[in-house]
Amino acid sequence: MRTDPDLAADAARGSESALAELVRRHQARVRGMARRLTGTASDGDDIAQATFLTAWQKIGTYAGGTFAAWICTICYREFLQVRRRQKMEIEFDETAEIIPFGRTQAETANDQMDLSRALEKLPEAQRICVTLCVAASLSHREAAEATGWPLGTIKSHVNRGVAALRKHLAATEVA
Amino acid sequence: MRDEDTYADLTALFASEDRALEAKPFTDDVMGRVRAQGRMRKLLLAVTGIAGALLAASQLPKLLADTVGLDTSITTSIVQAQTDMTALASANPLWLGVAAVVGLSLFAVAAMERA
Repeated sequence: MRTDPDLAADAARGSESALAELVRRHQARVRGMARRLTGTASDGDDIAQATFLTAWQKIGTYAGGTFAAWICTICYREFLQVRRRQKMEIEFDETAEIIPFGRTQAETANDQMDLSRALEKLPEAQRICVTLCVAASLSHREAAEATGWPLGTIKSHVNRGVAALRKHLAATEVA
Repeated sequence: MRDEDTYADLTALFASEDRALEAKPFTDDVMGRVRAQGRMRKLLLAVTGIAGALLAASQLPKLLADTVGLDTSITTSIVQAQTDMTALASANPLWLGVAAVVGLSLFAVAAMERA
């Protein structure tokens, strides 16, 4: 099986089939990450799509290392861009309800796994760190590079987030 | 023990959630948009090329009139038509606006070109 860096090199030379293989390999991780960051499937998939389109434009800048970390960094930046844009729209429209990435009633009505519900209860910084390190399997260092936050901050958010997640899950099981 | 080992069970749970996502429709969507972007880029590059070629070709009559013994009535009428078009464009700012929009669009496409 061809490695990610080999496929990325082919994609940088213009091979669409190499890109398609990279999308197939990493779509689950990226979509999962984007859905967890936004809290909804539709917003998450939009961000995941934008992530792969940006990756295709910038594939020439991929300089080795873990491809998963590279693509997750792009995904995190896409998320920030969308969130910033949405925040600006809300600020512009003073009458708008301030629910960024709010869940629609239909989505809320859908049964969700306890894990996702527990994740949504975390403060944003913890949710981001848990999503990057625990769900997307980035190392703490890779998450620090992706977010621009200090390594110690990442570690402490992950530890607190994981503890809170376990507490929520245990409470759900008892209930 | 590595930090990651303390939450390996949670990572496995998240991974099983992600594996349930269907890959094919999403991959097809992304590749469809990649191909559409590629087609649009080719089209705009072709338009730019043709515009450049036309611009170059429009300068030929003057060049030929100077160097080759081409019938002067032909070259004079073409040069006159070009002069008239330029005068029309400067008289009506709408044409300048159209040219500016086309130029900006082409610049945007060039800026979006893959690295």
